Amino acid sequence: MPSNASNSSGLQRLIAQLAPLLIVSALVFALPVLLNNDFLLNKVARYLVLGILTISLGLSWGFGGILNLGQAMSFGLGSYAMAMALKLKTVPVHTGASGLPDFMVWNNVQHLPWFWEPFRSLSFAIAAGLIVPALVAAALGWFMFRGRVTGVYVSIITLATMVVINLVIIDQQSYTGGFNGITDLAQLELFGVAFDAYGRATYYLVAGCVLLSLLVAFAFTKSRAGLIVQAIRDHESRVRYFGYDVALYQIFVFALSAAIAGLAGMLYTVVMEFASPTFLGVQLSLSVVVWCAVGGRQSLVGAFLGAVLVAGMQGALSESAAFLETWTLVMGALFVLVVLFLPKGLAGLAQSTWRWVAQRRQAAGGAVARGVSQTEGST
Amino acid sequence: MDQLIEQIVTGLSIGSILLLVALGLSIIYGSMGIINLAHGEFVMLGAYAAWVFHTYLGLGLLASLVPIFLVVATFGWVIERYVLSLLNNRPLDTILATWGVGIMLQQAVRLMVGSELRYVQLPPALADSMNVFGIPISSYRVFLFVVSIALFGATWVLMNRTTVGMKLRAIIQDRSVAASFGINAKRVYALTFAYGAGLAGLAGALVSPLKSVSPDMGTGYVVDAFMVVVLGGVQSLAGTVASAFILGELSGGIAFLQNDTVAKTIVLLAIVVLIRFRPEGLFTARVRA
Repeated sequence: MPSNASNSSGLQRLIAQLAPLLIVSALVFALPVLLNNDFLLNKVARYLVLGILTISLGLSWGFGGILNLGQAMSFGLGSYAMAMALKLKTVPVHTGASGLPDFMVWNNVQHLPWFWEPFRSLSFAIAAGLIVPALVAAALGWFMFRGRVTGVYVSIITLATMVVINLVIIDQQSYTGGFNGITDLAQLELFGVAFDAYGRATYYLVAGCVLLSLLVAFAFTKSRAGLIVQAIRDHESRVRYFGYDVALYQIFVFALSAAIAGLAGMLYTVVMEFASPTFLGVQLSLSVVVWCAVGGRQSLVGAFLGAVLVAGMQGALSESAAFLETWTLVMGALFVLVVLFLPKGLAGLAQSTWRWVAQRRQAAGGAVARGVSQTEGST
Repeated sequence: MDQLIEQIVTGLSIGSILLLVALGLSIIYGSMGIINLAHGEFVMLGAYAAWVFHTYLGLGLLASLVPIFLVVATFGWVIERYVLSLLNNRPLDTILATWGVGIMLQQAVRLMVGSELRYVQLPPALADSMNVFGIPISSYRVFLFVVSIALFGATWVLMNRTTVGMKLRAIIQDRSVAASFGINAKRVYALTFAYGAGLAGLAGALVSPLKSVSPDMGTGYVVDAFMVVVLGGVQSLAGTVASAFILGELSGGIAFLQNDTVAKTIVLLAIVVLIRFRPEGLFTARVRA
């Protein structure tokens, strides 16, 4: 019987852990019913995509202990993969032979470069949007973790790598659109459904990907590999002495996180209708860290909500310049306070409040029970 | 031949600015293990302090150097005392906290004095140029070179020949043992951070006549200073000097060859490879795990 009891309590705990995730996803799916405004829905979809990006950082930072300051690199690679495919699908207006993208024509490129060719296929592009970031991350992870680079140095290397890729993209204007990025894209069409950036279909696509990424990330954190990754975060050498190949697990979580970020990048291109070097810029990359820290780096739902709330608030206030400047100041202060006093972010705050309430209720219930038994005893 | 000497002199001048900015960062990183992303903002504060002293109080740059050092050091002291000392066992979080502090400082300056560019006058006594090895060079750049070497000397003496420096070195070796010998680690850390911040402020004030002053001027400096510290090696003041001048000469040469993207890419990749294979820096002999 005891094993059965512990099993059912384990199941209960799993359900309790899944609950916030499912509730948040349900809210995300229900929003279009309440919000009958395509323009606003597009904005919300944008914040949801940034939320997915932040989930991916939470996976490597909160669970793997790898503070990746270049998370936007994977995001940008995914975004460019999608943009390249959608660019080739546009009806050519000013294009040269065989539908050459317009910026290539302006830069006197005669033929489509070889690495653009496969992007004529949308399925290739979608696969590339996931696999390329993962492979780049795996290679970088192999380079770092095999050499036992840890802590701050990981942050510096990831940041520097992202800046290098950003510089190359801006510099190679004739192949990448340079500073302007890739604009004037076709609509994404999947299984006969056209995804207009301002349409419901796109919103539900994003919402589905939110649910998918939350579930994948959650499943990973509960898997055996996920537990080992968390053990490495807490005490790397102890796990190594147990005989685990620490670097292998770190590389895996790093690559998985990059793949999710790549997915977010692809969705961002669909929602924003362009790709730009700012998508893999330092600014965005550091903002993701802020969102993740504010929401709670060790909670997937927390990281997601942190991004949606903070980015959403920033977006709402950015209409007025004076507001935005004060907001940046408040944001900096908020961030410092969260780092100092809420290392687990808002999710940690919610958790401890919940526990406190539960304890109070239990204590109160116990007191009542004791009172009842006392009155029973006296009679 | 003349061109070569000119290149070398330009490199020395860039190197002395790098050294000025990196010295404070090197002290803070080397002794406290804090990656201070607000360092660039301390540089910026120093530059603005120079501008304020000049515009509102009519003080010349040279006369205001000491007050600038004290003002920015006070900022540093407050930040260490009320923010960073709470993060003793969380080195990664100090990156985030100092970054947040940096944003606040930058934004506060922007709100108070606006984001337009400000200019600080050269000290009149140093406005002319002089001949070095037959090359005319502005006296102010020679002055910067001398000041950076002097500040390095002062810092070295402070670390190695004074009681505070000895206490700091004891804490670096083993904080709890040092504390059991009666050393007040908190106070020494606060002073160290204040000193590092003050040095950054001085650097900002000293470079302000050469470049325009703006709220986001610090960002570039913090990246450069980091490269100097990483290349020179943590806990090695001499390494910091060497790497500052190496990087100065390199960027002088790269500017001569003129391709910014290639130059930046090469430097960043070099840093990445350096961290991977020699995280202790080029000039550190001893390694302590």
